Amino acid sequence: MKWRCALIQRWLPAYPDGDLPSFWQAVVRSHLEKCPACREELAGLEAVVSSIKAAPRHEPDQAFWDNFNRELHLKLAQSVPEPPPARGFRIPYYLLGAPALAGLLLWLAFGYLNPERPGMPPQPQLSQEQKALEQTPAIPRLAAPAPAPEKSEAVVMVSQNGQDLHGDDDLDMDGDLDSTLAGMTETEREAFLKKVRQHEKDGSCTRESLIVSWA
Amino acid sequence: MTDPQLVARAQEGDLPAFEELVKKYQREIYGLAYRLVLDAEEAKDLTQQAFMQAFVHIRGFRQQAQFRTWLFRIAINQCYNYLKNRKKFGDPVDCDEYVLVGEDSPEEELVAQEDHRRLYAALERLPAKQRAVITLKLEQGLSYEEISKVLGGTAGAARVNYCQALKTLKKYMQNEDDYEVAVRPYPKMVTRISRR
Repeated sequence: MKWRCALIQRWLPAYPDGDLPSFWQAVVRSHLEKCPACREELAGLEAVVSSIKAAPRHEPDQAFWDNFNRELHLKLAQSVPEPPPARGFRIPYYLLGAPALAGLLLWLAFGYLNPERPGMPPQPQLSQEQKALEQTPAIPRLAAPAPAPEKSEAVVMVSQNGQDLHGDDDLDMDGDLDSTLAGMTETEREAFLKKVRQHEKDGSCTRESLIVSWA
Repeated sequence: MTDPQLVARAQEGDLPAFEELVKKYQREIYGLAYRLVLDAEEAKDLTQQAFMQAFVHIRGFRQQAQFRTWLFRIAINQCYNYLKNRKKFGDPVDCDEYVLVGEDSPEEELVAQEDHRRLYAALERLPAKQRAVITLKLEQGLSYEEISKVLGGTAGAARVNYCQALKTLKKYMQNEDDYEVAVRPYPKMVTRISRR
């Protein structure tokens, strides 16, 4: 079979009724005039169509239809028509994911990443002088390094003076006995250890609380 | 009374109006169902189910298409569901059911019966959709546009489907004898042995 015949024979069943587009109708007609194989194929198809049209149909008698209508009437009388479906604008369920994702992204963009979101504490309002200072270029300043805090000396001075300290930062509150003893003189250490042993015997307080109270 | 008027009355719950529509289209729907499922009792049940579905959902029918087309679509969906549940496209058909008493001579009747037997055997081998296209086009006389509304798709797709179905049917009818030998080789062999 030539390729042209294969192409034409795809359209042959619709040719006799004139259902083809006009271009293809003309092409098939001109091809059929000079191709006996396609004419034979068309004759075979027309024979099939005529046999289908001539085939006897199954036509039930009137008693069948009477029985049919009686049964159907009983069924229809028991059924109720459903109300018409809502015709309003509805998004199909398979498209609901896109708006949900867009809402989530908007919330992330404007709600979570925004520093002025409701959950954050309000930033202090700067006065005009501070704003002016922030706008001026920063001048590099030379500053002396801050002296390192000497905690051991603070403990010693407190013990020598016998006065309470006001700031908690100066006290060695961690209860480490060795570090506390390291900063003491011999006399202070002996007095301290003596007091510790005495209290441990009494059971009145623990070693850690004693360190704190000593300080 | 025209179809839109009857449909409008049926949508208001008027059962006699709907039954008038039933009487108008029951033969076409039954013929379609019978051609698709190839069983008289099943075709009757499917026709009744199709009319039931149409009555239940008639308030959702917006009259944008013809009532007849809408009814065909419901019936074909019912038949598809039935065929899907049966897991195969048709039981073996007893071709004697189709034979009607003719006025021809006995020889001509025998030839016609043989032609019809081959035709129905070939139709049975067609897929349900192609069978539906052939039935709607040749027996119900629907256009490709109406077929596309019944079966879905476009008019061009319906035309291609029809062409394919007709060519397949012609091939099946030509090869029907070879097919029978290929499908049922064992009984013939038994017959041959018993003759010896």
